[in-house]
Amino acid sequence: MSTLSPVSWWRNPWRKPWGLMIVTALYLTWSLLPVAVAVLFSFNAGRSRVTWQGFSMRWYYGDPLRSVWHDSSLHAALVHTLWLGVLATAITVPLGVALALGLDRWRGRIPSGANLAVIVSFVLPEILMAVSLLFVATVLVSPLKLGTSGQVLGLVTFQLSWPVVIVRARLLTIGRDYEEAAVDLGASPAGAVWRVLMKLLYPAIFASAVLVFADVIDDFILVRYLSGDSSTETVSIKVYNTARAAPTPALNALTTLLLVTALIVVTLGYLGYRWFTRGEKGAGAIDVFAGES
Amino acid sequence: MGARTGPAHDRSRQLHRRTVLRGGLLAAVGVPLLSACQTRTHDYGELRIPTPENPIRWPLSKKYPIIESGLKPQPGSVLRIYNYADYLSPKMMKDFEAQTGVDIHLSTFNDADEALTKIASGNLGFDLYFPSYDSLGKLIQAELLRPLNQDYLTNAKNLWHSFDNPWYDLGSRYTIPYTIYSTGIGWRTDLADVNLSQYENPFDVFWDTQYTDNMAILDDWHTAIGMVLMRNGVNDLNTTNSKYLEEARVALLDLRKTMNPKVTIQMYTDMPSGQYGLAQFWSGDAINMPYYLPKKTPVDILRYWFPPDGVGEIDNDLVVCLGQGSNPVAAHYFMNQILDVTSAGQNFGFTGYQPPLKQFTPSDLVKQGYVPENLATAVVQESDFKTGLPLLQLPVTAENEYHQIWQEFKSGG
Amino acid sequence: MAEVETETDRPVPDELEESQASRRRGAEPEPQKGVGSRWLWGGLALPGIVWLCLLFIAPLYVVLAIIFGGIDPILRQPVPVWNPLDWDFSQFNFVMGRIFGPDPYFRPAMIRTVAYVASASLICLVIAYPVAYFTARLAGRWKGLLLAALIAPFWISYMMRMLAWVNLLQTDGLVNKTLSAGGLFNVHYAWLQGHSTTVILGLVYGYVPYMILPLYAGLDRAPTAMLEAARDLGASRFQTFYRVTWPLTRTAVVVSLLVTTLPMLGDYFTVDLLSGSPSNSMIGNLINNSVLTPGETGQAGAFVLIVLVVSVIPMFIYLRSTRSGTDIAV
Repeated sequence: MSTLSPVSWWRNPWRKPWGLMIVTALYLTWSLLPVAVAVLFSFNAGRSRVTWQGFSMRWYYGDPLRSVWHDSSLHAALVHTLWLGVLATAITVPLGVALALGLDRWRGRIPSGANLAVIVSFVLPEILMAVSLLFVATVLVSPLKLGTSGQVLGLVTFQLSWPVVIVRARLLTIGRDYEEAAVDLGASPAGAVWRVLMKLLYPAIFASAVLVFADVIDDFILVRYLSGDSSTETVSIKVYNTARAAPTPALNALTTLLLVTALIVVTLGYLGYRWFTRGEKGAGAIDVFAGES
Repeated sequence: MGARTGPAHDRSRQLHRRTVLRGGLLAAVGVPLLSACQTRTHDYGELRIPTPENPIRWPLSKKYPIIESGLKPQPGSVLRIYNYADYLSPKMMKDFEAQTGVDIHLSTFNDADEALTKIASGNLGFDLYFPSYDSLGKLIQAELLRPLNQDYLTNAKNLWHSFDNPWYDLGSRYTIPYTIYSTGIGWRTDLADVNLSQYENPFDVFWDTQYTDNMAILDDWHTAIGMVLMRNGVNDLNTTNSKYLEEARVALLDLRKTMNPKVTIQMYTDMPSGQYGLAQFWSGDAINMPYYLPKKTPVDILRYWFPPDGVGEIDNDLVVCLGQGSNPVAAHYFMNQILDVTSAGQNFGFTGYQPPLKQFTPSDLVKQGYVPENLATAVVQESDFKTGLPLLQLPVTAENEYHQIWQEFKSGG
Repeated sequence: MAEVETETDRPVPDELEESQASRRRGAEPEPQKGVGSRWLWGGLALPGIVWLCLLFIAPLYVVLAIIFGGIDPILRQPVPVWNPLDWDFSQFNFVMGRIFGPDPYFRPAMIRTVAYVASASLICLVIAYPVAYFTARLAGRWKGLLLAALIAPFWISYMMRMLAWVNLLQTDGLVNKTLSAGGLFNVHYAWLQGHSTTVILGLVYGYVPYMILPLYAGLDRAPTAMLEAARDLGASRFQTFYRVTWPLTRTAVVVSLLVTTLPMLGDYFTVDLLSGSPSNSMIGNLINNSVLTPGETGQAGAFVLIVLVVSVIPMFIYLRSTRSGTDIAV
């Protein structure tokens, strides 16, 4: 039973960590409150984004010229962002998983070089990749053009390291016992990979798909440099272009819609991950989303 | 895991070395392959610069012939327009879409340099572009424009006579004028107490330290450097004289250091929302400001100043049809629409920039209430074009020097 | 299937014991002992490797060809030169001369980048460490919820978060209104008019989530037993932290610093949104301003090369100092 002296209260190792709690609470507020305010003002009845003028759904579908529903440039940006997300994820995940498997098992100079390339692409600032691909698109005649094709190719290259990192981490914990058991039982090596290893990797694959999608719909530098005309502008480009001009709350509405979509995808991803790892020890750990390697 | 030593570690070091060697070998093989890759070629001949004293009649493009007369735009087709943000009335575009059934895709750029680079890359397929005459020669010589078919431009009779045969495009083979504007000084009296008569050269106000942290200049290299040249007493805004340019450079860097200016083209929203009180202004933005003022702020706090003798920056923007576009018929129809009185009025109401049409006489604009009294100086007179100083295209070395000054300015160096 | 017998139940043949023992020692798993041939794994990895070569490695050569290439005289667009023997070093020398030579007007931007990134990273660390510590060790049943809240910024668009701040920081925005405390003071500070503090805080706001998660992962893995032992043995709070917690988590701190600092080097849009003034430009702005400007594209390439070299070196140093670099797991 602790005494009430302040010194012993301070020295008690098992007391509640008020200081850290307050710091964390303050951080969360600072981190999320501006976003909450932005979401709030998307329902503003007036044109201002700083003065509350009443509640209205005007900027979502009401206003005939400038709402997200009616202003084709705004909802086209939203659709394009989601489309890029789907395309890029659909290409990155299989490519990355295959690369992870190959790099993990193959020994030699080529795979070590490729390994290095993956690590470098993971940490390099995005602007480097964006500028180099922009140069390719503008001076070379190749399938990489400004517009959706360039954006998808660039995004896949940039995101490729994510599935590789996550899947390889999972492979380390799985080990080779299961495949060896399968081969001992008569499966071919490729069959062992497909039927046994893949099933074990589902959670990691799923997690990397969700991470890549969330990262792609938020991407700015690559999609901006490789964008073509306005039909290939994403929400982040629209926000950047308009934020410095005369934005209306329609912009807040647009970003709120993107936020809701991302929330749905991430929640589905989390639930799917839990379902895939049900019954597994330590399953459902949200750590994999922390990019824990 | 701690650091590793021993044979395994050395082996991996060797792997690294071999990987690098292999990479070098690959490069030696790959380079000639890359050279074989097709690149876009450029060979356009000597640069020709149009000036009021040296008007040019451009040759018709061999790459993009004039379209046939009498065609109609296809409903459901797309018209791709490439323009500054907030420089075309959304209502005007919606009306055009309703009339012709054509779908308009508007893409925006932040400055003309960026636009030129994107257009030069070729594969974006824009139909209409809005340059000024400082890049017109480049566009034509690089074979990027399609010459116009005047049969579609029935509304061209609305234009001021001085634009019938402009010096930058004799015969109006490639362009129609879009808007006319001057560049001057704008301020709001409640945030900046400005009295220009106290300065020997009114542009000195931008170096007056009482407005530090409270001002902005235009994010356009030629416009900004032109203003600095005028402040230094040099009235040739396209000078190639290195001494004048050096003095301009010193003054510009001094401006940045002592005044901490914002460098932007958003004056028309920034000043009404109170971000700063004094700025270099385009006349159209000044006229547009009342629209963005909060409701409780009176309009008469806004001011615009342009040299009363008319010796100041005067320009007009143009509309051109790009050859890379796939809908030149709709492009011609839209250009004709811009010259139509009602549409031009809609556009003027939205952007604040004057169309050079007969029905929009500058003296009437204030009388009919389009422009408030306190901003009457922002209206461009036809006579201003005789006395004014246009920003022209520059020869390559000079343009390099201007860009270098601007780059140094923007690098914060 | 019969009950699985554990190792302790039956005698183990020597080779198996040897490999199990070596695995327990934590050595590298033996090569080629697993299932499948080189062709299977090579075939799986090949598409990815080809992709990386074509779209990651090769474009770097295009950058070089442009830096050391020419400029077309009319449109001032870059003309790449592929053969290294024909390379023209004037654009590169121009950039280098403006950094190291007389009249170095690019140098302030570089120094400023280092200053901003260093300050922002430090502030990020100071904020992220306590938050990660609390979440990993002391949160109890709130851990899952807290972690979700910490991960949230990842799928909230960076632009939206910055936009939210631009709104709040406008001269007539909520920050000034709150500071004016309903009319008690008259705070009219122009936060967005070229102030370094705004930019640094903006960078912190944007990148601190990237720092929290690796820190969380590292702190989560640190053995509680050690910390409890330290307290049991009489160490004070600060001593425990300084002598036990910090050394245990040093790797995680280094990793999180790398993951946060390197992307910050390429940032330009934070400066663009939070400060309209050129006196805050970072190297990202130098790149962004020149890459689409006719005649300056080669210079943009030179800046890109500089950032590449600067980013890659610390990473190599880190990899060399911790492991052989053939493993990717961090």
